[in-house]
Amino acid sequence: MNNFSRLLSYLKPYRARVVMAVGLMVLVTLTALPMPRITQYVIDVALPKKQYHALNYVFLMVVLLYLVRGTISFLLNYTISWLGQRIVFDLRFQSYRHINRLSLAYYDKRQTGKIMARVIDDINVIQYMITGGFVTLITDILTLVVVIPVIFWMDWRLAFISITVVPIYVACYKLFLKRIRRLSEQLREKWDALLGALQEKIAGITVVKAFAREEHETERFMLTVQDNFSLGMQQAKLNRTLGVVATVIRAVGTGLIFWMGTKLVLGEQLQPGELIAFVGYIGYLYDPSVRLVDFNIQAQWAGAAMDRVFETLDTRPEITDAPNAITIRDMKGAVEFRNVTFGYEPDNPVLRNINLKVEPGKVVAIVGPSGAGKTSLVNLIARFYDVTEGAVLIDGVDVRQIRLESIRRQIGYVSQESLLFSVSIRENIAYGNKEATEEQIIQAAKDADLHDFIMSLPDGYDTKIGEDGIKMSVGQKQRLAIARATLTNPRILILDDATSALDSKTEANVQQALERVMKGRTNFVIAHRLSTIVNADQIVVMDRGEIVDIGTHAELVARPGVYKNLYDEQFKSAQEEALSALLG
Amino acid sequence: MRNFFRLLHEVRRYWKVLLLIGVLTLMAAALGLPGPLIVKYLVDHLVNRQPFSIFAVFCALVGVAIASGLVGFALTMSVTYLGQRFKLDMRRKLYGHMQTLSLGYFEKNQTGKLMSNITNDVATLDQLIGGGFVTLVSDLVTLTAVLIIIFTMNWQLALVGMSVFPFYIANYLLHIGKIKSTADDIREERDVMLGDLQEKLAGALVVKSYAKERSEVLQFVGQNRSLLNLNVRQGVLGTRLWTIAEFIGSGLGVALILWFGGRQVMQGNLSPGALVAFVSFITGYLYGPILRLIQLNDQIARTNAALRRIFATLDTEPNIKDRPDAIPLPPIQGAVRYENVWFEYEPGQPVLKGINLDIKPGMMVALVGQSGSGKTTMINLLQRHYDVTEGRITVDGYDLRDVTLLSLRKQVGVVIQETILFNTTIRENIRYGRLEATDEEVEEAARAANIAHVIEGLPRGYDTRIGEEGIKLSGGEKQRLAIARAILSDPRILILDEATSALDSETETLIQEALEHLMQGRTSFVIAHRLSTIVKADLIVVMEKGVIREMGSHQELLQQGGVYAGLYNQQFKVALDAIQTEGAAA
Ligand SMILES: Nc1ncnc2c1ncn2[C@@H]1O[C@H](COP(=O)(O)OP(=O)(O)OP(=O)(O)O)[C@@H](O)[C@H]1O
Ligand SMILES: Nc1ncnc2c1ncn2[C@@H]1O[C@H](COP(=O)(O)OP(=O)(O)OP(=O)(O)O)[C@@H](O)[C@H]1O
Ligand SMILES: [Mg+2]
Repeated sequence: MNNFSRLLSYLKPYRARVVMAVGLMVLVTLTALPMPRITQYVIDVALPKKQYHALNYVFLMVVLLYLVRGTISFLLNYTISWLGQRIVFDLRFQSYRHINRLSLAYYDKRQTGKIMARVIDDINVIQYMITGGFVTLITDILTLVVVIPVIFWMDWRLAFISITVVPIYVACYKLFLKRIRRLSEQLREKWDALLGALQEKIAGITVVKAFAREEHETERFMLTVQDNFSLGMQQAKLNRTLGVVATVIRAVGTGLIFWMGTKLVLGEQLQPGELIAFVGYIGYLYDPSVRLVDFNIQAQWAGAAMDRVFETLDTRPEITDAPNAITIRDMKGAVEFRNVTFGYEPDNPVLRNINLKVEPGKVVAIVGPSGAGKTSLVNLIARFYDVTEGAVLIDGVDVRQIRLESIRRQIGYVSQESLLFSVSIRENIAYGNKEATEEQIIQAAKDADLHDFIMSLPDGYDTKIGEDGIKMSVGQKQRLAIARATLTNPRILILDDATSALDSKTEANVQQALERVMKGRTNFVIAHRLSTIVNADQIVVMDRGEIVDIGTHAELVARPGVYKNLYDEQFKSAQEEALSALLG
Repeated sequence: MRNFFRLLHEVRRYWKVLLLIGVLTLMAAALGLPGPLIVKYLVDHLVNRQPFSIFAVFCALVGVAIASGLVGFALTMSVTYLGQRFKLDMRRKLYGHMQTLSLGYFEKNQTGKLMSNITNDVATLDQLIGGGFVTLVSDLVTLTAVLIIIFTMNWQLALVGMSVFPFYIANYLLHIGKIKSTADDIREERDVMLGDLQEKLAGALVVKSYAKERSEVLQFVGQNRSLLNLNVRQGVLGTRLWTIAEFIGSGLGVALILWFGGRQVMQGNLSPGALVAFVSFITGYLYGPILRLIQLNDQIARTNAALRRIFATLDTEPNIKDRPDAIPLPPIQGAVRYENVWFEYEPGQPVLKGINLDIKPGMMVALVGQSGSGKTTMINLLQRHYDVTEGRITVDGYDLRDVTLLSLRKQVGVVIQETILFNTTIRENIRYGRLEATDEEVEEAARAANIAHVIEGLPRGYDTRIGEEGIKLSGGEKQRLAIARAILSDPRILILDEATSALDSETETLIQEALEHLMQGRTSFVIAHRLSTIVKADLIVVMEKGVIREMGSHQELLQQGGVYAGLYNQQFKVALDAIQTEGAAA
């Protein structure tokens, strides 16, 4: 219920409309009241007395009544659906904004499909409840409030009887509630799992196909769907049983009224028309209990959905701006790691005791065996994660004291896996800098040695990538990612294995251009092909989370160590050949 | 409507359930009729103050209610079953079909949209089936029965009651077109949003590194705003249709009946009880079903878009499929021939132009060349993800198009350029290569891929989960897992498409040694830019802009002094220089 009131707080900004909706609900309720009385009048007064003219009035009244009722209920429905949609909008906006604020660690731990389920499906469920069951519930409650006095006023004995059956229903309802609730939660979870698996397998279809696993995947998918199926059936069974109970109770109640009512009519204590009207009114009493079943399904679903939506909203971003964070306008690009220890899991450090000082404008290469922690190291500069101990400083300021946006806007980061979006090539390049001019975009593409390729496409820079467009080769993607990074004119550029899919010639072209573009900027380059990095000002050699050596290429090959081994391994053939050439 | 009939065709399969539902519906409809008649009996007796058995009336009322409650229970349960079952089968069908489609299809459709097809579209259909579709039958039955009853009770009054029908229909026709087109717009807009959302969530790293969160949120808000407007519009249209319908039915219709029926009672042509029953028949059993029928139409309109998309998916023929007379490829030796192969992804833009290549079983072939020159494409063709535009590719003399896909892909193992792992344990990820492999074999493969020591160093070892609720691996670790997975599949032809680019040379050499041993006598293709990876290859194929420029062993190509030699000198310049100076010094 706590979540529920939280949901209601989303209605606050629309107070006026809510008030209006409530007002309209009251009116709709009131318009429901006269009809049974009109029938009563016809039966008890007009018909026995043969008042023809009264019938004309009745006709007019009914038409008028429904005209009014229709207008009001139209307005009500409109207001409600507006409110429902608006809440969906607000909730989605908030969730998405919040998810965007959460740090990478949040994404590391969750399947994309599941995050989507929260932003889309859960919120939809909540909306159904608001616009559907919730409104009916409120109208029903309002009706009850009005109808109960009315029936007591009409005939308290009958009214009393009709109310006695209600507690039985409430007891049954209570009995079922918990189980229905549990099932709804399970259902939501299964649905999540389904979406997660679906997203992953569709995105990873290449692997599925490469191993000819289509049938296996279909079977696995079926298992998930099957789970959804049986849970859905169980839930339906519970709800329907409750529905039967409600119907029976209603029938018994109505039957009792007729019984008692007949006695009263025959004893001349009640008019027949009154009895009919009475039965009409207690419909308003019992119908809600039947409807409550439907509302219940929705409410349980929505309850489970709300839990999850609010859980997301309550997840604290691990990385946020400190309250007194400063903005660095023109970053110089000095980077320092001071005694840095870092682990993705607290008790399992991936980086230990890192000390590294990089002067602005230098090219720093990071090499080392796979899994040594190179990516982790550069991830700390852009503050994708926070250090466990020690500090990372940019221009002498701890990154935790600088506004995130001002760091990331001035760092160009090309990740190991190039991610492009399904928009045109131009938009992809300009992703980091929407104001870039056409010339700048073309220049960036030229620098990344991609311009010629783009021009060879019939649509040039307007070629769409991905959906309804072309697919690029991996090397082309890498170059596009580089172009995208340089276009933001970063003060620090980080290339994480960003040229691994380029042949040496293309790579050399890109490097030359980068040297020019990145003059005076700090560069971090991670590469396994040593020819990529021999010219770096500083080569940092990492192994198992530690820096084991620092120096220039010449210095490092001169002494035994990790770097020398890597070098020998990679250039063995060349050395052998050169030697044999020399010798013979 | 055509789609709708096709849907009926799909549903036909469940004829048993449908039959049951039909019977139950009839019973439910029949049980609905006595109510007003009992009331009529009661009222007539009351008005005339005639005594009667109250107990019998009570029993009749409660009995009928209990019976209809139970029938209702059975009915809704079978309807739910039908709906759920339908969803289940439809999802299987869609997903299964998508799986048969070739890679090209997935490249052209955003993941989010495909997901939406399987989840949302099918759910929409279920709403139709579980909702209006079933009441359609019961409503039609009720309608007929009630019409008969009221016409026998008093035909003039029945005619009066029905005189509002035309307005009903006119109202419906006026609205339906707009509702339909709005429904289509909503679907489309929603898909765009889903597609974008999926992509941006999967690409969170890029969004974050450009500090683009705010603009992404803004874009999302924009999409949601138009969705909001469309939905509100849809709501308005629907409510208007409904409200007017209710006014015509419950308002105008009942007013007419009271007016005309009242006269009939006064003239003694009708009993007061009959009038009451009339009103309750008309509102509860005539206008109600008609309202629902209208609603059903609205639902059909909403479902139409979903239907269209589902059938569009089901109608998409896989570009690549087995010929009817395709034979399973027998265990192969691994001789691969490209004979004058031309290929284009987009018509008019050839990516491979006349490739001729003859590979003997057991050879290690290296593909090198500029980025975008068509190396991956060569591999894609060998796996028959696409069909050649011209020429042919044979394996052991079998044209790839003459053998079944399954038998081909089972014998070709690839490690693709961009590593994809799934969200499960490390063990399951490796085992994906061969599902029936034992734990020992899995570990064996991990050792060959030089990843075993990393895995064993993890607290939960092979049972460590990757991704959700698990760890993330480094680029090189992922590549090694992918290699282990391919090794485990025990392929006759192994393809490594830059599968070691994120590995340091030492690790790479270790893996290569293991592979050399494992791939004894099997054909392998290696694509790499780091030439040290491929110097040992039996044949090096140098590609440029879709043609083969040079071919030969490392030594031969160096001597030729062409493209390869250029690449080589560039990459090994440092070492060569160093040795030169050393040599000079010595
Ligand atoms: N699915 C596709 N649809 C359309 N064009 C494609 C598709 N896949 C690749 N291409 C285009 O075909 C050409 C060759 O691509 P391919 O992936 O074979 O190159 P590659 O030699 O493997 O390059 P890299 O070394 O960069 O991976 C490229 O120009 C690319 O843009
Ligand atoms: N998000 C993460 N959560 C948990 N562990 C991680 C995460 N990312 C990386 N790791 C682990 O941290 C270690 C270092 O990873 P990192 O990506 O920094 O290596 P790397 O040196 O860049 O390797 P490669 O050259 O293979 O890319 C690896 O053992 C990896 O499994
Ligand atoms: Mg490639």
